[in-house]
Amino acid sequence: MLDGMLLGLETAFTFQNLFFAALGCFIGTIIGMLPGLGPMSVVAIMIPVSLQIGDPSTTLILLAGVYYGAIFGGSTSSILINAPGEAAVVATAFDGYPMARKGQAGKALTIAAISSFSGGTIGVVLLMFFAPALASFAILFWSAEYFALMLLGLSAVSAFAGKGKVLKAVMMTLLGLMLATVGESSLFHAPRFTLGIMDLQSGINFVTLAMGLFAVPEAFFLAIDKIRSKKSSSKKSQEISNLRINLKEAKAIAPVIGRQSIQGFLIGVMPGTGATIASFLGYAVERNLASPEEREEFGKGSIKGLAAPETANNAASTGSFVPLLTLGIPGSGTTAVLLGAFIALNLQPGPQLLQERPEVFWSVIMSMYFGNIVLLVLNLPLVPYIARLLAIPRGYLIPFVMFFAMAGAYIGQNNSTELLLLLGFGVLAIILRFADYPLPPLLIGFVLGQMFEDNLGRAMRNANGIEFIWERPMTLTLILTAAVFILVPILRDWLANKRRK
Amino acid sequence: MLDLNRAVALALLGFSSGYGYLAYFYHLLPFEKFLSVRPNTMPIGLAIAGIICSLVILIQPQVPEVEGDGTVNRPDAEYLQNPQNYNWGQGIGLLLLAVVYTLSLRGAGFLFSTSAFLVLGGILLGERRYTFLIPISITASVLVWYLVDQVLTVYLRPWPGWVYY
Repeated sequence: MLDGMLLGLETAFTFQNLFFAALGCFIGTIIGMLPGLGPMSVVAIMIPVSLQIGDPSTTLILLAGVYYGAIFGGSTSSILINAPGEAAVVATAFDGYPMARKGQAGKALTIAAISSFSGGTIGVVLLMFFAPALASFAILFWSAEYFALMLLGLSAVSAFAGKGKVLKAVMMTLLGLMLATVGESSLFHAPRFTLGIMDLQSGINFVTLAMGLFAVPEAFFLAIDKIRSKKSSSKKSQEISNLRINLKEAKAIAPVIGRQSIQGFLIGVMPGTGATIASFLGYAVERNLASPEEREEFGKGSIKGLAAPETANNAASTGSFVPLLTLGIPGSGTTAVLLGAFIALNLQPGPQLLQERPEVFWSVIMSMYFGNIVLLVLNLPLVPYIARLLAIPRGYLIPFVMFFAMAGAYIGQNNSTELLLLLGFGVLAIILRFADYPLPPLLIGFVLGQMFEDNLGRAMRNANGIEFIWERPMTLTLILTAAVFILVPILRDWLANKRRK
Repeated sequence: MLDLNRAVALALLGFSSGYGYLAYFYHLLPFEKFLSVRPNTMPIGLAIAGIICSLVILIQPQVPEVEGDGTVNRPDAEYLQNPQNYNWGQGIGLLLLAVVYTLSLRGAGFLFSTSAFLVLGGILLGERRYTFLIPISITASVLVWYLVDQVLTVYLRPWPGWVYY
């Protein structure tokens, strides 16, 4: 293995490759900030450009840079304007945006960068050592286990069930699941619940719903409340002084990063689950592990609540390379696109790659280290400038936030019906916020809904019933864990209430 | 009393029932009747859960908005309690402007509608330095179009739909 690492280093460590890694990170960060252009689309867009280079290692290094840059760029728009352009960074907005509201935008971005870096780097180390072993483990997961994993992901909504809001959170999750059933599904043969509207045939677009639920209400509240927008703009001095995290905060997030790197990586290894569920689960697990005072902070700008999903989604993105490199199975959308790049470069990922083209295998791994390091070096100095975006006067900021949100749903589709739908969801979200229904569960339900139903359906078809729940020990364990996740917060509240009485 | 909280629960009850109706009377294909999971299995379950859940929210006692010890349970409810402190005109105006923008995209093209949206949005929100506002808005929309259409080669129609170029 040492030989391989050295070989990879030798291939990757040239001036040209370093330059392309930096370029890729920069391009990825800039484009990734636009909602609607997540890592998958950015990598796909960059493939034709990068193939012009000719050298497979350099091409893959550039693409890895773009990939990591795009993930970080996505978290930036989540944190700054509550516009998660991609499912994997939804959980980042839960605590990142409240932090930005409190004038800690710089700190939030720094934490995001550090967590992403650590998650990615630890993920690569795990990938290097355990890839072959994990690959055989991952294929033991059947649809029954995936179904249980989705259930576990859904249990993350319990994190938003504040006082007397358990039912509201459940209701919102159900609403999200209902919205996810609109349109065609992979399991059945005709579109459902489209009410005859052609635009709903392919289902509700994630970006449309996410922007409608998160960004539009935010623009609205900023517009009606002058003080609210001042809160973010007048704290210029604080933003800059508050950039660095102090030792106490570093100590608080270090264990979170450690745990979530491993957990996120393991979830990412399962083909088809990926960064989204890893980030939700990471958030839920860390909330349950936190002390009662810290738990109160979750959702209101907790540094742990920001570090957890950011670490987990990066570790999971790295983990999704395990099945790609060792089995040739793309475990996520982005790795599927990368598989295309591999094939265009005349490389066949799979068990033979390590034997036939070891220099490529190792330079991919080394380029992932590179991508992470360059990302940190490049973005930490940029943080103060990015954070200052919030100091733009409201006459410019608010229309731009609104435009930004809509552009995400419009770009690539040129369909204005999508925008009307987005604004409709926006109005709905404003009403729901006035009535104090938590919105994140709705999005979690929506994101996991499709996979939930598909895997439940497949598992039930395989077993011809629901026996799979108790016949497969792994499924049972995961479902019981989900039950614990949901019941523990409820019981805790109940006991606290009883004690008070 | 029917406050907003309960009104929303009522609306959700209606939605769940309507969804349940559509799910229950979903037209199954002949062979789908023999599947262990039918296209409407999960939707029916969701609808039932949704109806139960919204009913319970509807009838359960309300959590007070502000506790005795001063903790606020409904952070956004402030806006409705003291509506006179907030400029609703700007918020609602912005949403209406966004609808107009959406409808004008096809007729007027991306460049023109976006510039107009950003300028009018700025004016609506109290920006009066037109010499800054107008050039910035036009530059921004051209820049976004250039980045998306020319650099990333994702088609974005710049001119009105009836202009061929």
